[in-house]
Amino acid sequence: MSFIKEYVERQTLHRRNLLLMSAYGLCGAVLGAAAGPGRAGAVTANPRIAWSYRDRTNPYWNAIVSGGNAFVRSLGMPESALINLINEGSSEKSLADIQSLLSRYGSGVALAVDPNDMPNCRPVVEAVSKAGAYVSTIWNKTDDLHPWDFGDNYVSHMTWSDVGPSEQTARVLFDAMGGKGGVVHLGGIASNNPAIERLAGFRNALKAYPNIQLLAVQAADWDTQKANQVMSGFLTRYGDSIKGVHCASDTMAYGVIEALRAEGIEDMPVVSYDGNPQAVELVTQGKILATVFTNPYWAGGITAALAYYAATGAFKPSAEPHEHREFLGPTILVTTKDAREFKARYIDTNPQYDWKNFWALASK
Amino acid sequence: MNRFLAMDALRKWVPLLVLVGLCLFFTVVNPNFLSLRNFARIAISATPALMVAVGVTFVILMGSIDLSMEGTVAVCAVLFALALNALGGSIAGWGWVAIPGALLVGAALGAVNGMVHVMLRIPSFMASLSLGFVGIGLSLLITGGNRILIDDPLFRSLLTVRVWGFPLMAYAALGCLLVAWFIQDHTTMGRNFYAVGGAEDLARASGLDVGRLRIIGFVLAGVFYALGAIFAVARLGIAETETGRNFMFMSITSVVVGGTALRGGAGGVWNTLVGVLIVNVIGNGMVVIGLADYFQDGVLGLLVIAAVYLSTNRQSLSFVK
Repeated sequence: MSFIKEYVERQTLHRRNLLLMSAYGLCGAVLGAAAGPGRAGAVTANPRIAWSYRDRTNPYWNAIVSGGNAFVRSLGMPESALINLINEGSSEKSLADIQSLLSRYGSGVALAVDPNDMPNCRPVVEAVSKAGAYVSTIWNKTDDLHPWDFGDNYVSHMTWSDVGPSEQTARVLFDAMGGKGGVVHLGGIASNNPAIERLAGFRNALKAYPNIQLLAVQAADWDTQKANQVMSGFLTRYGDSIKGVHCASDTMAYGVIEALRAEGIEDMPVVSYDGNPQAVELVTQGKILATVFTNPYWAGGITAALAYYAATGAFKPSAEPHEHREFLGPTILVTTKDAREFKARYIDTNPQYDWKNFWALASK
Repeated sequence: MNRFLAMDALRKWVPLLVLVGLCLFFTVVNPNFLSLRNFARIAISATPALMVAVGVTFVILMGSIDLSMEGTVAVCAVLFALALNALGGSIAGWGWVAIPGALLVGAALGAVNGMVHVMLRIPSFMASLSLGFVGIGLSLLITGGNRILIDDPLFRSLLTVRVWGFPLMAYAALGCLLVAWFIQDHTTMGRNFYAVGGAEDLARASGLDVGRLRIIGFVLAGVFYALGAIFAVARLGIAETETGRNFMFMSITSVVVGGTALRGGAGGVWNTLVGVLIVNVIGNGMVVIGLADYFQDGVLGLLVIAAVYLSTNRQSLSFVK
């Protein structure tokens, strides 16, 4: 049970640090205002590295953090040197934690962050650049906000385009169905950007397959249990006319597969998205025909590395072209043909990445 | 007066009438709804929720509330799965120990919950809500955010093996419901729950150790949450922190829709069965009739209000808080 003790100790320490930081922050904010801005652009020899993200209940963020840890280890530091700021899905908490961090360490911060939702990106970036620290963001950013408008402090933004890969999984599905029959789509929370893009990709593929009949599109909120319930509802409504299932995430595909198993249906073509280890395992068994891997491990490491090396002055972001400051992350389609090889390479071990080769895997 | 009595007698049956009405409505819109296979699907989704709702029924009968179910279900599910896998991965071998083990864990968490409520004199609402968060945190700590898979075909036969069209887990849950009914109607403890919920000062004055009874109520609830956790794992073959998700809304709503009064002292586990079925029939029916998904949450909320309005005698309430 020593790992629990260790974890509790570490968390206590983090909480204590955060409290101290917040207290210090109140004083710091006053002092900072008195001293006035103008410290932007300061380069720090040894910046603190922090990752701000949603939660630890899902494999995606766990992989992001292990990438961040790998990067920190590559600097010869222990994993505890990475400061974890967990926002629990609240933009307010995300911003407040980051402000505390900035008040404590000022310009000596290299921050990697998913700002939780698009509007929250601007205040986060403005707070960081006001403090003269460095930030790299992933996923959530409004279209009018650009790293190059903030000099060096807003280092980069990486996001993923899900339309193309989702279309590819749909094509794999339709081919497996023999190009005909009814299909259902289970989507994520309807207002989430990935849910919108993955549905758009699915609809694009439908255009090329005139004999595939779209039976229904229904949100199951990325949730295994809800997907299970929705799928059993679909089975009642459409019965045997369902010949294939397109899921917008692995977690929902697990619920779908169990709903089918309860009915004794073992050979229904199902595709999903995210490339979680369990899903890749199911692809090797042929229970899922395709999923898409977005390499969160690499993303977690490289986002922290970009902010860190900008903070140390190892590279100058403003000297880089725009496509090095806003770029798309990697996507790899995993199908039954290559799942074993893929699993050996990306799931069972993590490849050794060069954390200074920032754009090695970028799509654009 | 006669008319009033007739209304009152009728009101007892309102939840059941609502359930029948909903089934008729969904059948008219899509006849596929009324089929054995669809009822089996509803039964599968209702089984874990039924256990959790039966557990919280005991607490609500006492006039308290328990909101810790999401945390308790998560911890029980995760520990059950870990133990089952560690003990050989099959309930045919030593893995069966994981089942009583999970029930013990549920009982222990319930005991903590009850003791915090009774001994520290913290309202059950706050005590249980907080301990629910502790439970979620604990399950996260145990799993590190990962999922635990259960592959044991014998355990999964709860879902995959069917008798007369229904999976084994439906019969197992029915058995547990009968036990709950026995506790409620045929044990002193069960009758005391009603006494405390109906008039706590009278129960106290007649020498009942109300504090002890409350703790027992929470322990009993914890055991049923653990049963819910086991069925939830049987349904999906996955144990994770998310396993507990949504049970708070589902179970409290089911209890209330079934006609058990939140103020305590009236209702029971059969009401809860009807309530759970209403909530699950709505969930299934809305997909079956193809209601657009942005309507579904809203419609569920409205139907719940309607069902509660119909099943409670407004005139007998002196005040509503």
